[in-house]
Amino acid sequence: MFAIRPVVANATTRSVGCQHRNYATLKEIQLRLKSVRSIAKITKSMKMIASTKMTRAQKTMEIARTFGSTQTALFTNADTKPTEEGTTLIITVSSDRGLCGGIHSSVSKASRKHVQEKPNSQVVVLGDKAKAQLSRTIRNNIRLSFNQIGKATPTYTEACAIADTILNEKIEFDQAIIVYNYFKSVISYEADTIPVFSESTFSKSGNFDAYEVEDDVLENLHEFALANSIYWGLAEGHASEMASKRSAMENATKNAGEMIDKLTLTYNRGRQAVITSELIDIITGASAI
Amino acid sequence: RWYATEASASTSGLRLSFVLPHQTIYKGVEVQQVNIAATSGDMGILASHVPSIEQLRPGVVEVIENANATKKFFGEYTNKLGTNYLVSGGFAIINPNSSLDINAVEAFPLEDFSPEAIRANLAEAQRTATSGSSEEERNIAKVEVEVLESLQSALGSK
Repeated sequence: MFAIRPVVANATTRSVGCQHRNYATLKEIQLRLKSVRSIAKITKSMKMIASTKMTRAQKTMEIARTFGSTQTALFTNADTKPTEEGTTLIITVSSDRGLCGGIHSSVSKASRKHVQEKPNSQVVVLGDKAKAQLSRTIRNNIRLSFNQIGKATPTYTEACAIADTILNEKIEFDQAIIVYNYFKSVISYEADTIPVFSESTFSKSGNFDAYEVEDDVLENLHEFALANSIYWGLAEGHASEMASKRSAMENATKNAGEMIDKLTLTYNRGRQAVITSELIDIITGASAI
Repeated sequence: RWYATEASASTSGLRLSFVLPHQTIYKGVEVQQVNIAATSGDMGILASHVPSIEQLRPGVVEVIENANATKKFFGEYTNKLGTNYLVSGGFAIINPNSSLDINAVEAFPLEDFSPEAIRANLAEAQRTATSGSSEEERNIAKVEVEVLESLQSALGSK
Protein backbone atom coordinates (compact mmCIF):
# COMPACT_ATOMS: atom_id res chain seq x y z
CA MET A 1 0.00 0.00 0.00
CA PHE A 2 1.20 3.46 -0.64
CA ALA A 3 1.84 5.79 2.24
CA ILE A 4 0.48 9.16 1.38
CA ARG A 5 3.28 11.58 1.70
CA PRO A 6 3.08 15.33 1.20
CA VAL A 7 4.74 16.24 -2.08
CA VAL A 8 6.46 19.38 -0.90
CA ALA A 9 7.59 19.93 2.64
CA ASN A 10 5.60 22.94 3.72
CA ALA A 11 8.05 25.16 5.49
CA THR A 12 5.51 26.58 7.89
CA THR A 13 3.83 23.37 9.01
CA ARG A 14 6.83 21.08 9.24
CA SER A 15 9.27 22.43 11.78
CA VAL A 16 11.61 19.88 13.22
CA GLY A 17 11.85 16.66 11.30
CA CYS A 18 13.53 16.05 7.98
CA GLN A 19 17.09 16.84 8.89
CA HIS A 20 18.39 16.31 5.40
CA ARG A 21 16.07 18.99 4.11
CA ASN A 22 16.81 21.51 6.84
CA TYR A 23 19.00 23.89 4.89
CA ALA A 24 16.56 24.10 2.04
CA THR A 25 13.75 24.60 4.57
CA LEU A 26 15.66 27.32 6.37
CA LYS A 27 16.34 29.11 3.11
CA GLU A 28 12.69 28.89 2.15
CA ILE A 29 11.59 30.29 5.48
CA GLN A 30 14.11 33.09 5.22
CA LEU A 31 12.86 34.00 1.76
CA ARG A 32 9.29 33.97 2.89
CA LEU A 33 10.12 36.06 5.94
CA LYS A 34 11.79 38.65 3.75
CA SER A 35 8.83 38.91 1.41
CA VAL A 36 6.25 39.07 4.20
CA ARG A 37 8.26 41.78 5.94
CA SER A 38 8.34 43.94 2.83
CA ILE A 39 4.61 43.40 2.29
CA ALA A 40 3.98 44.48 5.87
CA LYS A 41 5.93 47.68 5.21
CA ILE A 42 3.93 48.37 2.07
CA THR A 43 0.57 47.81 3.73
CA LYS A 44 1.60 49.92 6.70
CA SER A 45 2.50 52.85 4.47
CA MET A 46 -0.72 52.40 2.49
CA LYS A 47 -2.61 52.57 5.76
CA MET A 48 -0.88 55.85 6.68
CA ILE A 49 -1.65 57.36 3.29
CA ALA A 50 -5.26 56.19 3.46
CA SER A 51 -5.76 57.67 6.92
CA THR A 52 -4.45 61.11 5.93
CA LYS A 53 -6.59 61.02 2.78
CA MET A 54 -9.50 59.92 4.93
CA THR A 55 -9.35 62.90 7.29
CA ARG A 56 -9.28 65.26 4.34
CA ALA A 57 -12.06 63.37 2.57
CA GLN A 58 -14.14 63.40 5.73
CA LYS A 59 -13.99 67.19 5.98
CA THR A 60 -15.04 67.55 2.34
CA MET A 61 -17.79 65.01 2.91
CA GLU A 62 -19.31 66.89 5.85
CA ILE A 63 -19.64 70.04 3.77
CA ALA A 64 -20.87 68.12 0.75
CA ARG A 65 -23.43 66.39 2.93
CA THR A 66 -24.81 69.72 4.12
CA PHE A 67 -24.85 70.99 0.55
CA GLY A 68 -26.52 67.92 -0.89
CA SER A 69 -29.07 67.46 1.87
CA THR A 70 -30.12 71.10 1.60
CA GLN A 71 -30.81 70.44 -2.08
CA THR A 72 -32.80 67.27 -1.49
CA ALA A 73 -34.78 68.97 1.30
CA LEU A 74 -36.75 70.58 -1.51
CA PHE A 75 -37.98 67.19 -2.69
CA THR A 76 -38.94 66.27 0.87
CA ASN A 77 -40.81 69.50 1.41
CA ALA A 78 -42.53 69.23 -1.94
CA ASP A 79 -43.41 65.62 -1.20
CA THR A 80 -42.06 64.39 -4.52
CA LYS A 81 -42.61 60.71 -5.15
CA PRO A 82 -41.09 58.52 -7.87
CA THR A 83 -43.62 57.55 -10.52
CA GLU A 84 -44.52 53.88 -10.72
CA GLU A 85 -44.18 53.46 -14.47
CA GLY A 86 -41.46 56.03 -14.91
CA THR A 87 -38.02 55.30 -16.27
CA THR A 88 -35.21 55.20 -13.78
CA LEU A 89 -31.58 56.09 -14.20
CA ILE A 90 -29.19 54.49 -11.73
CA ILE A 91 -25.89 56.27 -11.15
CA THR A 92 -23.43 54.00 -9.37
CA VAL A 93 -20.65 55.81 -7.53
CA SER A 94 -17.50 53.77 -7.11
CA SER A 95 -13.86 54.26 -8.07
CA ASP A 96 -10.97 52.85 -10.08
CA ARG A 97 -8.79 51.74 -7.19
CA GLY A 98 -8.75 48.37 -5.50
CA LEU A 99 -7.52 47.16 -2.11
CA CYS A 100 -10.25 49.06 -0.32
CA GLY A 101 -12.39 46.38 1.25
CA GLY A 102 -15.95 45.74 0.13
CA ILE A 103 -16.72 49.21 -1.25
CA HIS A 104 -17.28 48.25 -4.86
CA SER A 105 -19.19 45.08 -4.05
CA SER A 106 -21.51 46.95 -1.71
CA VAL A 107 -22.45 49.51 -4.34
CA SER A 108 -22.68 46.94 -7.13
CA LYS A 109 -24.97 44.73 -5.07
CA ALA A 110 -27.29 47.64 -4.34
CA SER A 111 -27.36 48.66 -8.01
CA ARG A 112 -28.11 45.12 -9.08
CA LYS A 113 -31.00 44.96 -6.62
CA HIS A 114 -32.48 48.16 -8.06
CA VAL A 115 -32.14 46.81 -11.58
CA GLN A 116 -33.94 43.64 -10.52
CA GLU A 117 -36.86 45.73 -9.29
CA LYS A 118 -36.93 47.80 -12.48
CA PRO A 119 -35.37 45.73 -15.26
CA ASN A 120 -35.41 48.44 -17.89
CA SER A 121 -33.46 50.99 -15.86
CA GLN A 122 -30.40 52.48 -17.40
CA VAL A 123 -27.15 52.52 -15.47
CA VAL A 124 -24.33 55.02 -15.48
CA VAL A 125 -21.21 53.75 -13.74
CA LEU A 126 -18.58 55.98 -12.18
CA GLY A 127 -15.41 53.96 -11.65
CA ASP A 128 -13.81 50.97 -13.36
CA LYS A 129 -14.13 48.55 -10.47
CA ALA A 130 -17.91 48.78 -10.29
CA LYS A 131 -18.07 48.68 -14.07
CA ALA A 132 -16.22 45.35 -14.05
CA GLN A 133 -18.55 43.92 -11.41
CA LEU A 134 -21.74 45.16 -13.04
CA SER A 135 -20.66 44.10 -16.55
CA ARG A 136 -20.78 40.54 -15.38
CA THR A 137 -24.49 40.61 -14.66
CA ILE A 138 -26.24 43.68 -16.08
CA ARG A 139 -24.03 44.65 -18.98
CA ASN A 140 -27.00 45.51 -21.19
CA ASN A 141 -28.27 48.15 -18.83
CA ILE A 142 -25.02 50.09 -18.67
CA ARG A 143 -25.38 53.19 -20.75
CA LEU A 144 -22.29 55.21 -19.82
CA SER A 145 -19.22 54.68 -17.74
CA PHE A 146 -16.67 57.08 -16.37
CA ASN A 147 -13.17 56.43 -15.12
CA GLN A 148 -10.40 58.44 -13.46
CA ILE A 149 -12.67 58.58 -10.44
CA GLY A 150 -11.29 58.36 -6.95
CA LYS A 151 -7.75 59.55 -7.53
CA ALA A 152 -8.27 62.64 -5.40
CA THR A 153 -10.99 64.23 -3.32
CA PRO A 154 -13.85 64.97 -5.72
CA THR A 155 -14.45 68.54 -6.79
CA TYR A 156 -17.71 70.19 -7.80
CA THR A 157 -16.25 70.71 -11.27
CA GLU A 158 -15.97 66.94 -11.73
CA ALA A 159 -19.56 66.45 -10.66
CA CYS A 160 -20.67 69.16 -13.09
CA ALA A 161 -18.74 67.54 -15.93
CA ILE A 162 -20.37 64.18 -15.20
CA ALA A 163 -23.85 65.70 -15.01
CA ASP A 164 -23.18 67.60 -18.21
CA THR A 165 -22.15 64.45 -20.09
CA ILE A 166 -25.20 62.56 -18.85
CA LEU A 167 -27.51 65.35 -19.95
CA ASN A 168 -25.77 65.70 -23.32
CA GLU A 169 -26.32 62.01 -23.99
CA LYS A 170 -30.02 62.82 -23.84
CA ILE A 171 -30.70 59.96 -21.46
CA GLU A 172 -34.39 60.33 -20.65
CA PHE A 173 -35.43 59.53 -17.13
CA ASP A 174 -38.26 60.34 -14.77
CA GLN A 175 -36.17 59.83 -11.72
CA ALA A 176 -32.56 59.11 -11.07
CA ILE A 177 -31.09 57.45 -8.04
CA ILE A 178 -27.49 57.83 -7.11
CA VAL A 179 -26.19 54.68 -5.43
CA TYR A 180 -23.24 55.45 -3.18
CA ASN A 181 -21.65 54.35 0.07
CA TYR A 182 -22.93 56.40 2.96
CA PHE A 183 -20.16 57.16 5.43
CA LYS A 184 -21.47 56.05 8.81
CA SER A 185 -18.21 56.12 10.71
CA VAL A 186 -14.50 55.53 10.32
CA ILE A 187 -15.10 51.79 10.41
CA SER A 188 -18.46 51.44 8.73
CA TYR A 189 -20.30 52.49 5.61
CA GLU A 190 -23.54 51.47 4.02
CA ALA A 191 -24.96 51.61 0.50
CA ASP A 192 -27.59 54.29 0.22
CA THR A 193 -29.40 56.29 -2.48
CA ILE A 194 -30.00 59.94 -3.33
CA PRO A 195 -33.06 60.70 -5.46
CA VAL A 196 -33.16 63.21 -8.31
CA PHE A 197 -36.42 63.94 -10.09
CA SER A 198 -37.09 65.22 -13.59
CA GLU A 199 -39.11 68.36 -14.18
CA SER A 200 -42.26 66.41 -15.03
CA THR A 201 -42.02 64.17 -11.97
CA PHE A 202 -41.28 67.16 -9.76
CA SER A 203 -44.24 69.13 -11.07
CA LYS A 204 -46.46 66.21 -10.09
CA SER A 205 -45.29 66.47 -6.48
CA GLY A 206 -47.84 66.47 -3.72
CA ASN A 207 -46.94 69.88 -2.41
CA PHE A 208 -45.87 71.43 -5.70
CA ASP A 209 -48.67 73.96 -5.79
CA ALA A 210 -47.45 75.54 -2.61
CA TYR A 211 -44.41 76.86 -4.46
CA GLU A 212 -44.31 79.84 -6.75
CA VAL A 213 -42.09 78.88 -9.64
CA GLU A 214 -41.42 80.23 -13.08
CA ASP A 215 -41.51 77.42 -15.63
CA ASP A 216 -38.21 78.06 -17.31
CA VAL A 217 -36.47 77.72 -13.97
CA LEU A 218 -37.53 74.08 -13.51
CA GLU A 219 -35.18 72.63 -16.11
CA ASN A 220 -32.24 74.48 -14.65
CA LEU A 221 -33.26 73.33 -11.20
CA HIS A 222 -33.29 69.73 -12.40
CA GLU A 223 -29.79 69.99 -13.90
CA PHE A 224 -28.50 71.80 -10.82
CA ALA A 225 -29.99 69.15 -8.51
CA LEU A 226 -28.42 66.39 -10.60
CA ALA A 227 -24.94 67.93 -10.37
CA ASN A 228 -25.31 68.61 -6.65
CA SER A 229 -26.44 65.09 -5.86
CA ILE A 230 -23.66 63.57 -7.94
CA TYR A 231 -21.18 65.72 -6.04
CA TRP A 232 -22.62 64.58 -2.71
CA GLY A 233 -22.46 60.91 -3.78
CA LEU A 234 -18.88 61.29 -4.98
CA ALA A 235 -17.72 62.98 -1.78
CA GLU A 236 -19.32 60.41 0.52
CA GLY A 237 -18.16 57.53 -1.65
CA HIS A 238 -14.62 58.82 -1.54
CA ALA A 239 -14.66 59.22 2.23
CA SER A 240 -16.08 55.72 2.71
CA GLU A 241 -13.47 54.30 0.34
CA MET A 242 -10.57 55.91 2.17
CA ALA A 243 -11.89 54.74 5.53
CA SER A 244 -12.40 51.21 4.23
CA LYS A 245 -8.95 51.17 2.63
CA ARG A 246 -7.43 52.28 5.91
CA SER A 247 -9.03 49.49 7.88
CA ALA A 248 -8.30 46.92 5.13
CA MET A 249 -4.62 47.88 5.17
CA GLU A 250 -4.59 47.85 8.95
CA ASN A 251 -5.91 44.28 8.96
CA ALA A 252 -3.41 43.31 6.29
CA THR A 253 -0.55 44.74 8.34
CA LYS A 254 -1.78 42.95 11.45
CA ASN A 255 -2.05 39.64 9.60
CA ALA A 256 1.38 40.13 8.07
CA GLY A 257 2.74 40.81 11.55
CA GLU A 258 1.24 37.56 12.83
CA MET A 259 2.71 35.66 9.90
CA ILE A 260 6.11 37.17 10.61
CA ASP A 261 5.92 36.07 14.24
CA LYS A 262 4.99 32.52 13.32
CA LEU A 263 7.61 32.29 10.61
CA THR A 264 10.31 33.67 12.92
CA LEU A 265 9.51 31.04 15.51
CA THR A 266 9.61 28.31 12.88
CA TYR A 267 12.89 29.65 11.54
CA ASN A 268 14.51 29.74 14.96
CA ARG A 269 13.35 26.26 15.79
CA GLY A 270 14.75 25.01 12.48
CA ARG A 271 18.01 26.81 13.06
CA GLN A 272 18.35 25.32 16.53
CA ALA A 273 17.56 21.87 15.16
CA VAL A 274 20.35 22.21 12.60
CA ILE A 275 22.80 23.29 15.27
CA THR A 276 21.74 20.45 17.55
CA SER A 277 22.17 17.86 14.83
CA GLU A 278 25.59 19.23 13.92
CA LEU A 279 26.61 19.05 17.56
CA ILE A 280 25.38 15.47 17.78
CA ASP A 281 27.44 14.60 14.70
CA ILE A 282 30.53 16.16 16.21
CA ILE A 283 30.06 14.55 19.59
CA THR A 284 29.38 11.06 18.24
CA GLY A 285 32.32 11.48 15.91
CA ALA A 286 34.52 12.61 18.81
CA SER A 287 33.36 9.84 21.12
CA ALA A 288 34.09 7.26 18.41
CA ILE A 289 37.71 8.24 18.40
CA ARG B 1 -65.58 91.17 4.71
CA TRP B 2 -62.56 89.81 6.39
CA TYR B 3 -59.60 91.84 7.32
CA ALA B 4 -56.39 90.06 6.74
CA THR B 5 -55.33 88.54 9.98
CA GLU B 6 -52.09 89.84 11.28
CA ALA B 7 -49.33 87.47 10.42
CA SER B 8 -48.68 85.43 13.53
CA ALA B 9 -45.55 86.64 15.15
CA SER B 10 -43.51 83.73 13.98
CA THR B 11 -41.34 82.59 16.77
CA SER B 12 -39.37 80.69 14.21
CA GLY B 13 -38.24 83.62 12.12
CA LEU B 14 -36.46 83.05 8.86
CA ARG B 15 -34.05 80.12 9.01
CA LEU B 16 -31.29 80.43 6.46
CA SER B 17 -29.10 77.70 5.04
CA PHE B 18 -26.56 79.19 2.66
CA VAL B 19 -24.38 76.35 1.41
CA LEU B 20 -21.67 75.90 -1.20
CA PRO B 21 -20.09 72.66 -2.41
CA HIS B 22 -16.89 73.39 -0.50
CA GLN B 23 -18.09 75.62 2.28
CA THR B 24 -21.09 76.00 4.56
CA ILE B 25 -21.71 79.67 5.16
CA TYR B 26 -24.94 79.41 7.16
CA LYS B 27 -26.77 76.31 8.30
CA GLY B 28 -30.14 76.69 9.93
CA VAL B 29 -29.29 80.11 11.31
CA GLU B 30 -32.09 82.49 12.20
CA VAL B 31 -31.75 85.73 10.32
CA GLN B 32 -33.87 88.78 9.85
CA GLN B 33 -33.82 89.30 6.11
CA VAL B 34 -32.02 88.09 3.01
CA ASN B 35 -31.87 90.07 -0.24
CA ILE B 36 -31.18 87.99 -3.31
CA ALA B 37 -30.58 88.73 -6.99
CA ALA B 38 -32.89 86.32 -8.81
CA THR B 39 -33.45 85.89 -12.54
CA SER B 40 -36.96 87.23 -12.03
CA GLY B 41 -35.66 90.30 -10.22
CA ASP B 42 -34.18 91.37 -6.94
CA MET B 43 -36.15 90.36 -3.90
CA GLY B 44 -35.98 90.64 -0.18
CA ILE B 45 -37.00 87.59 1.81
CA LEU B 46 -38.41 87.86 5.31
CA ALA B 47 -39.93 85.26 7.58
CA SER B 48 -43.14 83.60 6.35
CA HIS B 49 -42.42 84.47 2.74
CA VAL B 50 -44.49 82.70 0.12
CA PRO B 51 -42.77 79.40 -0.76
CA SER B 52 -41.02 79.71 -4.09
CA ILE B 53 -38.10 78.47 -6.12
CA GLU B 54 -35.86 81.14 -7.58
CA GLN B 55 -32.83 80.83 -9.79
CA LEU B 56 -30.03 83.18 -8.78
CA ARG B 57 -28.27 85.30 -11.33
CA PRO B 58 -24.68 86.42 -10.74
CA GLY B 59 -25.02 89.14 -8.16
CA VAL B 60 -25.09 90.04 -4.55
CA VAL B 61 -26.82 88.13 -1.78
CA GLU B 62 -27.15 90.20 1.35
CA VAL B 63 -27.75 88.57 4.70
CA ILE B 64 -29.11 90.77 7.49
CA GLU B 65 -28.82 88.80 10.66
CA ASN B 66 -30.36 91.02 13.25
CA ALA B 67 -32.45 94.15 12.77
CA ASN B 68 -30.94 95.68 15.85
CA ALA B 69 -27.47 94.55 15.08
CA THR B 70 -25.07 96.17 17.39
CA LYS B 71 -22.25 94.46 15.59
CA LYS B 72 -20.36 96.81 13.38
CA PHE B 73 -18.90 95.47 10.17
CA PHE B 74 -15.71 97.15 9.22
CA GLY B 75 -14.96 97.87 5.59
CA GLU B 76 -16.71 100.15 3.21
CA TYR B 77 -18.35 97.41 1.26
CA THR B 78 -20.74 96.15 3.86
CA ASN B 79 -24.11 97.70 4.43
CA LYS B 80 -24.48 98.87 7.97
CA LEU B 81 -26.41 95.79 8.97
CA GLY B 82 -25.84 93.04 6.45
CA THR B 83 -23.04 90.91 5.04
CA ASN B 84 -22.83 90.96 1.27
CA TYR B 85 -21.73 87.99 -0.76
CA LEU B 86 -21.11 87.89 -4.47
CA VAL B 87 -22.76 84.75 -5.77
CA SER B 88 -21.92 83.30 -9.18
CA GLY B 89 -25.15 81.34 -9.55
CA GLY B 90 -27.40 78.85 -7.87
CA PHE B 91 -30.88 78.44 -6.50
CA ALA B 92 -32.81 79.92 -3.62
CA ILE B 93 -35.69 77.89 -2.28
CA ILE B 94 -38.15 79.25 0.22
CA ASN B 95 -39.95 76.40 1.93
CA PRO B 96 -43.39 76.42 3.54
CA ASN B 97 -41.81 76.11 6.98
CA SER B 98 -40.23 79.56 6.68
CA SER B 99 -36.78 78.26 5.86
CA LEU B 100 -34.66 79.61 3.07
CA ASP B 101 -32.18 77.30 1.37
CA ILE B 102 -29.61 78.88 -0.90
CA ASN B 103 -27.47 76.45 -2.87
CA ALA B 104 -24.78 78.41 -4.69
CA VAL B 105 -21.76 77.31 -6.63
CA GLU B 106 -19.46 80.06 -5.41
CA ALA B 107 -19.91 82.92 -2.98
CA PHE B 108 -17.42 85.34 -1.56
CA PRO B 109 -17.82 88.30 0.81
CA LEU B 110 -17.71 91.53 -1.16
CA GLU B 111 -14.87 92.95 0.85
CA ASP B 112 -12.59 90.25 -0.52
CA PHE B 113 -12.64 91.81 -3.97
CA SER B 114 -10.30 94.54 -5.22
CA PRO B 115 -11.68 97.08 -7.72
CA GLU B 116 -8.47 97.19 -9.77
CA ALA B 117 -8.47 93.43 -10.30
CA ILE B 118 -12.13 93.57 -11.33
CA ARG B 119 -11.45 96.36 -13.83
CA ALA B 120 -8.52 94.46 -15.34
CA ASN B 121 -10.41 91.17 -15.58
CA LEU B 122 -13.48 92.89 -16.99
CA ALA B 123 -11.49 94.55 -19.78
CA GLU B 124 -9.88 91.21 -20.63
CA ALA B 125 -13.21 89.39 -20.60
CA GLN B 126 -14.88 92.00 -22.78
CA ARG B 127 -12.05 91.68 -25.26
CA THR B 128 -12.42 87.89 -25.39
CA ALA B 129 -16.20 88.16 -25.64
CA THR B 130 -15.99 90.10 -28.88
CA SER B 131 -12.87 88.70 -30.45
CA GLY B 132 -12.55 85.22 -29.00
CA SER B 133 -11.42 82.41 -31.26
CA SER B 134 -14.27 79.95 -30.71
CA GLU B 135 -17.99 80.26 -30.02
CA GLU B 136 -17.55 78.47 -26.72
CA GLU B 137 -14.76 80.79 -25.64
CA ARG B 138 -16.89 83.82 -26.48
CA ASN B 139 -19.85 82.46 -24.51
CA ILE B 140 -17.69 81.76 -21.48
CA ALA B 141 -16.31 85.30 -21.74
CA LYS B 142 -19.84 86.71 -21.94
CA VAL B 143 -20.76 84.97 -18.67
CA GLU B 144 -17.58 86.32 -17.13
CA VAL B 145 -18.48 89.84 -18.25
CA GLU B 146 -21.92 89.51 -16.68
CA VAL B 147 -20.52 88.39 -13.34
CA LEU B 148 -17.81 91.06 -13.30
CA GLU B 149 -20.19 93.85 -14.26
CA SER B 150 -22.60 92.97 -11.49
CA LEU B 151 -19.68 92.76 -9.09
CA GLN B 152 -18.48 96.17 -10.17
CA SER B 153 -21.89 97.74 -9.72
CA ALA B 154 -22.30 96.07 -6.33
CA LEU B 155 -19.00 97.47 -5.18
CA GLY B 156 -19.73 100.85 -6.69
CA SER B 157 -23.11 101.22 -5.03
CA LYS B 158 -22.07 100.25 -1.52
